[in-house]
Amino acid sequence: MKECRYRAQASMDNYPTQPVHPPVSPEAGEPGGPEFLPLDPQVITLWRIQQLIGSAVLMGVLLIPLFVLVANVRGAFLPAAALWILIGLFRAFTFFWYPPRAYRAWGYRIDGKVLETRSGVWFRVVQLLPLSRLQHVDLHRGPIERSLGLASLSLHTAGTVQSAISIPGLEAGLATRLRDQLAAIGGDDAV
Amino acid sequence: MTGDPSDNPAPQPPPLPPVIPPGWNAGPGEAPPVIAPERVAPAAALFEGRLHPMTLAFSTWAVVQKFIIPFIVVLFLGRNQSFSALFFLLLLIIPIAVAVIRYFTFTYRIENGELVTAEGLFGRTERNIPLSRVQDIRIEQGLLHRLFDMADVRIETAGGRGPEASLSVLAKPEAERLRAAIFEQVSIARGTSPATQPQPVSQGHVIRTLSVRELVVAGLTSNQMASVLALLAVGFSLVDDLLPETAAERIGATLGRMAEELFSQGLETHWVQLLAGAFLLVAMGMIFSVTGSILLFYQFTLVRNGEDLHRSFGLLTRRSSSLPRRRIQVLKIEEKMLRRLFHLATLRADTAGSRPDQGEGGTSGHDVLLPAVPRDEVEQMLPEFFPDFERSEAEWKRVSRRAIRRGTAKGSLVCLVLAWGLWTVQEHWIALWPLALIPLVFVLNVLSYRHLGYWMGERFFCTRRGWLSRATHIVPIRNTQAVVIRQTPFDRRHRVATLIVDTAGQANTGGGPRIDNLPWNEALTVARTLARRAAETRYRWKDQADARPTLSHQQAQRFESPS
Repeated sequence: MKECRYRAQASMDNYPTQPVHPPVSPEAGEPGGPEFLPLDPQVITLWRIQQLIGSAVLMGVLLIPLFVLVANVRGAFLPAAALWILIGLFRAFTFFWYPPRAYRAWGYRIDGKVLETRSGVWFRVVQLLPLSRLQHVDLHRGPIERSLGLASLSLHTAGTVQSAISIPGLEAGLATRLRDQLAAIGGDDAV
Repeated sequence: MTGDPSDNPAPQPPPLPPVIPPGWNAGPGEAPPVIAPERVAPAAALFEGRLHPMTLAFSTWAVVQKFIIPFIVVLFLGRNQSFSALFFLLLLIIPIAVAVIRYFTFTYRIENGELVTAEGLFGRTERNIPLSRVQDIRIEQGLLHRLFDMADVRIETAGGRGPEASLSVLAKPEAERLRAAIFEQVSIARGTSPATQPQPVSQGHVIRTLSVRELVVAGLTSNQMASVLALLAVGFSLVDDLLPETAAERIGATLGRMAEELFSQGLETHWVQLLAGAFLLVAMGMIFSVTGSILLFYQFTLVRNGEDLHRSFGLLTRRSSSLPRRRIQVLKIEEKMLRRLFHLATLRADTAGSRPDQGEGGTSGHDVLLPAVPRDEVEQMLPEFFPDFERSEAEWKRVSRRAIRRGTAKGSLVCLVLAWGLWTVQEHWIALWPLALIPLVFVLNVLSYRHLGYWMGERFFCTRRGWLSRATHIVPIRNTQAVVIRQTPFDRRHRVATLIVDTAGQANTGGGPRIDNLPWNEALTVARTLARRAAETRYRWKDQADARPTLSHQQAQRFESPS
């Protein structure tokens, strides 16, 4: 989870407004409700950058046991280096393979008074939130998100297991409008 | 926070205008949904008071109690005794001074439909708790409290980590009066029971009391060790029934011969000691759990007074708790292994404010709504907790049959790995005994499949699971905060998923309803239906009409009449 969250500033309303995204591929839609909306495609870049930073840190940290091992155990260099490269290759694979699929798996829709999100490539998750149970909405923009013109929403309920549902990678203006819309549908019926 | 250094009540604020929900942006042609003003109570402070003077004695005693053992130790073992005595006295003074200041500055009052507590000498803290947000009022009397007819009052709302207001100590009648006043104010504000005069708890409708005999049974069945023994006994009787007598005799003879051999080898003391030790351990455990159960729940009474449920219990420490029944988020009917054997059930309920008991010398008993009652009675009791409960036993739906295959495969895999591990240790056919468990795994999975199910009505969602020990969750759909479906890659191969219904406050019930191995499409349908129904019913009850939108007059009458 992101550590720092702050409420959207008033300046965000100055973002150019765009029409809501077109529906995603038809097989993703469900009968008897509005189609699922995709995230902003820029989110793929965002995830890749985040993954790159994460990988750099991970590979750097993994260098420490590698050096320790090589310095103390004779003949450990080749297998250790091979393992290190293997992990690196796996990270590289997920760097290219994962984000587009995660993007395609992500969708959200507002069906009447219910927000439904679906996500997950390997582990699929569907979350449904009756909007009248919404406690508060956080709009988060990290430095990378800001440079890409993105924002993410966290929707908080009074629940225990799933007290927050977050939608990453929305276009900033859309995120602001969505936040206002969700809060307005919600009304006053929380705890 | 208004500064009010004197002990006089603060000047009355003007009545508040109707509240428009925060975050509402007026759209074109839409009227803002104005919340009806809840604060219809007269503006004057209805009820005000201070802590009882005994507070001084009680808090001094609490401080002394904390320091007395280290004090004695240091006094007798320390070298410089006069110095250490002085040191301890200094240590004592600070907390006692804090308590004295608290006593002299603490005030509470009810006004404008709020409970206002104020305390502090230099920095004054005033806390306003809207009475409509009160989840639970607890009155607790330790042995010392009972001696002087005093009580601790704790008031809980949905927020925060602990009680929102802790009034310690008040005279017992004053505590009762405060509780009655709060509930009276809430019911006036809601307009639920306009005719209701402040009734003493004793006049409510008694749902259930527990006799000492029932508490003994509850204590015995709560014992884990005893559960194991009882299971063994049941297993033995089963074996006894199934095996032909000759076989039983032969086993008996074998055992006798083994015993003889052991005796001849001079091992008898070991065996006798071991048996006696085990027996003693179990007996001790039983005695502990029975005394624990009686100490905690002696004279347990569950009373419904209008919309509020009152519990009181305890032999030495008397505890009582009052919660409005509409605050129940989840109800769990828990039948642990041994209790299920005796057809007993435990009822647990969660409010949005409930959080796990922390410290304070073990459990406080607040986590259970009813410690142990016969299972048959529970069905009749449900309308007491949920007046609009729709019962229909026949409509339990099972999950996908693939659950059996998956569970069996998983269990068999464990058996296989175990057998392989044992085989590598000792290459003997005996090492393969885990394989013999596979049929048992299959039977267990069939049984657990048969007992896993869910049921969705117009206003309630129920799940149940478990064969040996069973848990049934009942959630009023209006309490749904979120619905989540999870599908692992394995789930996807079987086209099933796990459905989780999230509610506020799940500390006492140990997680809300959750159902595995539901076919994917069915899970989606159930989840969407639940979410839509939750969105369309009100979570907070404004008045009776809102609370029971689909209940016919006839049904309402049936549920209202006390049985």
